[in-house]
Amino acid sequence: MFHNRAEALALALPAAVFAAVVFLAPVVILLAEGFRNADGWSVSAYTGFLSDPLNRTVFLRTLRLGATVTVVAAVIGYAAAFAIVNLPPKGKGRMIGLVVLPLMISPVARTYAWIVILGRTGIVNQALTSVGLTDEPVRFLFTETAVFVGLLQLFLPLMILALISALENMPKDAIPAARVLGANWFQVFWKVILPLTKEGLVIGGTLVFTGSLTAYITPAILGGSKVLMLETLLYQRVTVANDFVSASVIAFILIVMSFAANLLLKRLATARSKR
Amino acid sequence: MNKILLASSALLLIGAHAASAQEKTLTISVYGFAQDAFKELVYDPFEAKCGCKLVVETGNSVERLAKMEANKANPVVDMAVVSMADALSATRSGLIDKIDTSKLGNFDKLYDVAKDPNGDGMSIGYTFYATSIVYRSDKVEVTSWADLLGDKLAGHVALPNVTTNQGPPTLYMIGEALGQNTPDLKAAIAAVGEKKDDIVTFYVKSSQLVQLMQQEEIWAAPIGRFSWEGFTKMDLPIKWATPKEGQTGGMNVMVLTKGSKNQDLALQFMDFWLSTEIQTALAEKLVDSPANKEVKVSPEIAENLTYGEETVKNLKLIPSAVALDNRDVWLSEWNAKVGQ
Repeated sequence: MFHNRAEALALALPAAVFAAVVFLAPVVILLAEGFRNADGWSVSAYTGFLSDPLNRTVFLRTLRLGATVTVVAAVIGYAAAFAIVNLPPKGKGRMIGLVVLPLMISPVARTYAWIVILGRTGIVNQALTSVGLTDEPVRFLFTETAVFVGLLQLFLPLMILALISALENMPKDAIPAARVLGANWFQVFWKVILPLTKEGLVIGGTLVFTGSLTAYITPAILGGSKVLMLETLLYQRVTVANDFVSASVIAFILIVMSFAANLLLKRLATARSKR
Repeated sequence: MNKILLASSALLLIGAHAASAQEKTLTISVYGFAQDAFKELVYDPFEAKCGCKLVVETGNSVERLAKMEANKANPVVDMAVVSMADALSATRSGLIDKIDTSKLGNFDKLYDVAKDPNGDGMSIGYTFYATSIVYRSDKVEVTSWADLLGDKLAGHVALPNVTTNQGPPTLYMIGEALGQNTPDLKAAIAAVGEKKDDIVTFYVKSSQLVQLMQQEEIWAAPIGRFSWEGFTKMDLPIKWATPKEGQTGGMNVMVLTKGSKNQDLALQFMDFWLSTEIQTALAEKLVDSPANKEVKVSPEIAENLTYGEETVKNLKLIPSAVALDNRDVWLSEWNAKVGQ
């Protein structure tokens, strides 16, 4: 496409310089703060941060919620994506439109909707009490369950879209072939669909996991300070304690977790396809 | 030739004069709340009076103080409004200057407690607020700060997070009710920690409480008087408690940036804001409770404000130095007992 390598580089240069100046440089400067103390370079901020039991609890909670949301999104996402790709073109378009629709609505509005749904007088509690499952309204708001539901709703469309795209690219006769050869539906999924859609799963999984780790509004509104996550803790450290060192430590941990999740998912996908 | 020189000098002078009129700009740093009302009642009238331009920067206290610190060598902001404790913090960081009160015609009209809240001449109070408990009177009767942790309110109460302006005053009053009040707020934080499962949420924004009350998620919460108006508009029986231990609260103050080139204009603006006329207008719109004791409002308005010498005198305010010296202890104690 390009006559030479230099031409391609020249075209990429403005965007690269822009990204380096307004994104990379500030991030590097911020992260460097976490590795410095009065005596020079040190990892004491990290050891100090992780030795605090509260910080460890928050770290594990963030990891647990991110992983759970990703796994559940993958399970629901496969079912939904499989159903959608098998629809006739008109129906498929409409369903994809419905999946995309929530992405056009602000996360704040979507999260506030959950306050109405999960509240003591909300639809869920009304349904539970009317069928006699509980006498008293159940407390959903400001719990980990509420944060989980909010994050799942927020990021599920990304997983479904990634899997739809992967399933669309799968050879059309792969599933009938496996069925004819006697595979049951579980075997079809495990040995045919999963290996052939691993790219979509890696992309969707990374988006959902990274999004869950770094979402601020949803944990702040649905969990509040009773369900602190790394990002709400980061905000607290900056705005209350004016402690940019801890904030930089948290930011670094979040970045490492995102990259680690991507690597892990890629590794799992590769390991599966080698078998 | 001389004529040409004269004409060009005249033109230059006119140009310079126009430029200096344009440059008469006062930059203020304020809380983000009620900015439409402040623009109408304070900023626009002041601009018309001084013939200058007002640049308004908003944000929370920490962000604004961080910005002042970053621009210390070459200040952008001329005056700021912050909490008492933040004013002391700014003093300690060398960010603000002493206020020459002889240049403030309205200074003597202020309640004594607002004249020099931190006792260092670096700030002037312009508004107070009481903090007490708002509650559903058809569900419970609240007569003490200890009721917040009592059985009747278990599962129906929201408390302010320690990181909010209302957090430490609430803990201070809970400590008072428990009969164990020390600056580290240890006893109160431990008591809240023991009952944390009975607390619906530890709020960070008082604006979310109206919705929680409307949805019957909560029956009671400690709030600042400035949040009260939203509750009065609800179609629910809601009362402002007068606990036997008294009410707490806070005071917001004006400060003058060190090294500002517009200190005289900033003092003019402060004086304007403290005038009986402006303080009355702000009180009547329920924006801020007056620090000017000459302000007279109707009983209906007074009902919704922190108003009158007696009320102001009886507010149990946490001294700024105590707040500042204990912030880190409060946060770590809170995170250990309540946050986990």
